[in-house]
Amino acid sequence: MKSRLLMASIAIAALAGHGVLAQDLDKMTNAELLKAAQQEKTVTVYSFTSRISKVEPAFEAAYPGIDLIGNDMSSAEQITRLQAETKAGIVNADVVYIADVPVVVTELLEKGIIETYVPPRVADRLAPEFKSPLLAQRLSTKVLMYNEEAYPSGAPVKNLWELTTDAWKGKVIMVDPLQRGDYLDLMTEFVLRSKEMAASYEKQFGKPIALDEGIENAGQQFIVNLFKNDLVLVGSTDDVNAAVGKKGQSTPPIGFTSYSDRRDNEDEGWALQVANAVEPSNGIIFPAVIAIAKNAQHPAAARLAVDFLMGDDSNTGGAGYAPFYVAGDYATRTDIVSHPDAVPLADFKAWRIDPQATAKIRQDVGDLVLQLQ
Amino acid sequence: MTGEVLHSGRRGYAAPGLALKAGILAVLAILILAPLLKIAADTLLPATIGAWSEVVWGRLAPNLFWRPLGNTLILGVGVAAGCVILGGFLAWLVTMTDVPLRRGIGLMATLPFMIPSFATALAWGSLFRNDRVGGQIGFLQGLGLPVPDWLSWGLTPTLIVLVAHYYSLTFAVIAAALATVNSDLIEAAQLTGASRKRIFAGIVLPVVMPAIVAGGSLAFAGAASNFAAPALLGLPVRMQTLATRLYGMIEIGQTARGYVIAILLILISGFFLWLGNRVATGRRSYATITGKGGRPKRFTLGRARWPLFAVAMTVCVLTTIVPVVVLIASSLAPSSSALFSNWTTHYWAGLSTPSIAQGQAGILHNPAIVGGIGITVSVGLIVAVTVTVLGIAVAYTLARYGSGAISGAIHQLSFVPLLVPGIAFGAAYIALFGAPIGPLPALYGTIGLLVLAATAYLVPFAVQTGRAVIQQVSGELEESARLTGAGWLRRLIAVTAPLAVRGIAAGALIVFVKMVRDLSLVVLLFTPTTPLLSVLAYRYASEGFDQFAHAITVVILVLSIAATLIANKLQAKSQPWLKA
Repeated sequence: MKSRLLMASIAIAALAGHGVLAQDLDKMTNAELLKAAQQEKTVTVYSFTSRISKVEPAFEAAYPGIDLIGNDMSSAEQITRLQAETKAGIVNADVVYIADVPVVVTELLEKGIIETYVPPRVADRLAPEFKSPLLAQRLSTKVLMYNEEAYPSGAPVKNLWELTTDAWKGKVIMVDPLQRGDYLDLMTEFVLRSKEMAASYEKQFGKPIALDEGIENAGQQFIVNLFKNDLVLVGSTDDVNAAVGKKGQSTPPIGFTSYSDRRDNEDEGWALQVANAVEPSNGIIFPAVIAIAKNAQHPAAARLAVDFLMGDDSNTGGAGYAPFYVAGDYATRTDIVSHPDAVPLADFKAWRIDPQATAKIRQDVGDLVLQLQ
Repeated sequence: MTGEVLHSGRRGYAAPGLALKAGILAVLAILILAPLLKIAADTLLPATIGAWSEVVWGRLAPNLFWRPLGNTLILGVGVAAGCVILGGFLAWLVTMTDVPLRRGIGLMATLPFMIPSFATALAWGSLFRNDRVGGQIGFLQGLGLPVPDWLSWGLTPTLIVLVAHYYSLTFAVIAAALATVNSDLIEAAQLTGASRKRIFAGIVLPVVMPAIVAGGSLAFAGAASNFAAPALLGLPVRMQTLATRLYGMIEIGQTARGYVIAILLILISGFFLWLGNRVATGRRSYATITGKGGRPKRFTLGRARWPLFAVAMTVCVLTTIVPVVVLIASSLAPSSSALFSNWTTHYWAGLSTPSIAQGQAGILHNPAIVGGIGITVSVGLIVAVTVTVLGIAVAYTLARYGSGAISGAIHQLSFVPLLVPGIAFGAAYIALFGAPIGPLPALYGTIGLLVLAATAYLVPFAVQTGRAVIQQVSGELEESARLTGAGWLRRLIAVTAPLAVRGIAAGALIVFVKMVRDLSLVVLLFTPTTPLLSVLAYRYASEGFDQFAHAITVVILVLSIAATLIANKLQAKSQPWLKA
């Protein structure tokens, strides 16, 4: 009984304390944060990318005495975990580095599980859309990639609708959209862009699109036709990368994956290349966001880590941003220059997703995919 | 206890062991029923009740439920049949015949169960993968042998991988039962000139029938709820089982639909197990054979000796050595398509190098993995003890007070976790114990939650192995003890337990191994504060770091084998069928 009272009062005190503290912390300079962070000693990061393991030593070198604990888990898993932890009254994470923004906004931000923190140092170098509702660190992609060794003269596909033709039967590969949120967002984008999809259909086949019974628009029809053409589904993007990119294939498949995975070409023996000149688009580009867990145990160190992940003041972002300064990832900061090997963002054809519009019809698109499987 | 005093010795009095039965039932209800009722309740809320119609008869129903159901049943029945045939055949060879190298065959036949099914499935992929998904082709196709789709993906390979995994379970259960077949009876039959067929059908088969049914149902339930193998081998041809469907639903946050599928899976498998249970209990009259018996008389195989040996060895090698070699090779080979080239120890002991695997250091330099070994062993040991204690209590209760509604409920309930895919069980545990209950704090992120969930989840294994043995321990000794006034606990410790110790040791062993290599249960319960090796391995595999995943799996394998050896040393009788 006594200990319960004690715990409750500590919890209340902590909550009250945080309310005041958080506002102050948000305005602190790095030097001020560092003082408080050194008291806190550690910071726990939930990250949807394994590249956090490269950030860890860089952060610890920059801020000796503060231990960064990186936990690599998919966005969907982070959401489940953060919800469970909130329910249990536990705050394990300090920093949340995550994609799946349509779900993150409604399930984490609006439910008060995470909160937005924009480091004052970089605030003036970010467009408003990248500061609210969440701080976006970079833009990531799910786009059509092909094997440049097998197709040295460029992408074998010029129009998305080609993927539904006999030539690509059983030769289109992607991750099951019901397993990875970003692929469901890709499917959703086809539906949201139905007008463009309809126009491209006409361009490809020379006649207006005729919809199947029960199909409402060109985007849905594309998904239906893609599945009917023996679409191959796998469990992870690296399976897609290996299938598409592996060298020495005469007729390799084509697939939707992350443009930035091209960085592994040399290490893995792949020949992945992005198909950019595709009608009406080659896929989606979407933000990866960083937030602070509400009532984080290490609020100052958390803010330092967010600041660090946003990169230093150089034009490549320095050590903190280095793991993300690769061709195929696009920094949100206006002063970080585009990677020299990548298609410049302005020329990149991928659709920028609209998280709110995506959130609205995501479940319906998921149901359509489910029906087709 | 008062119930014991009241009926003081004689059998057949009203409700013998009532207090014991009620206590066991209460524990099982809290551990197993409460979390499941919680997820059931969660599907009956106004916002979620629509999930039922969507799953069962809406436009999504064929893909959400009916087709996965068909695949699940095919896998369940096929794997059960395959396991009984393969496991039973090997058990018969090892315990009843003069086949050469019985000891070696017996040991190897218990190994596949220690290899996680996802590792076997990955190994299958490395060997049989064809170019359906392009890129990475398997070893065989690499050698120029064309591998057809049906052998690379879908039902057939899933079935084979699951049989290769679960047959050792049916082997252990059937061999334990065969080892107790009274040789006096066989000798008597032989003396009176009974044919081998007659002896087999008249003496051996009836005695091992409960074990065959138990082993078969375990294999059915295991196959029906297995996630890893169908997910890895079925997805490229869009083959879904109820387990993969359920996992997918929970993964994308459609928990209501996921829970509905989980509940339906439980009901369907429950029906099949009820059927199996009827067959097993119909044979109870054969439980009069005593636990002791002379040195078993072996059948001479004659000319069939070496051919049968070759068959057994082939099965054993294909299901133990081959996957393990592939695992080890792929923890050393930089490219999984060239398994035996350019080996490096980087994935084991290398320091972080930016050019390899995105700067991941070898597993021995990764504090999370090193810490994970300690936590995995601790959790495995704690769970082995808690599950075994609970398992014996349940098996004992069922064997001694096996009639009546409460016993029926205990029996059914102790089977239930088998039918629930681990991932759903994990979700249910988080749903129930993730938040504070009254004065009890939330267990989320603690070892306590892992232990509770794993105890409940693994009870069927301890119960089944204990049960097969205890059923054959004569009730007479216990009866005598009861007449002298010994309480149930005393009788359990002094009489039943020593007689059943082989089954108990085997059960605890299986529990530890099952815990150490379990993935589906702990994948949702995993938190950074409780890193378990299997989840770490799975994480690496899903990130495409196969070498690290396989290296961790090899660690799991070493732990499992070490556990087996220690158990053998502590309890020389744990594998009675190996004795000369």
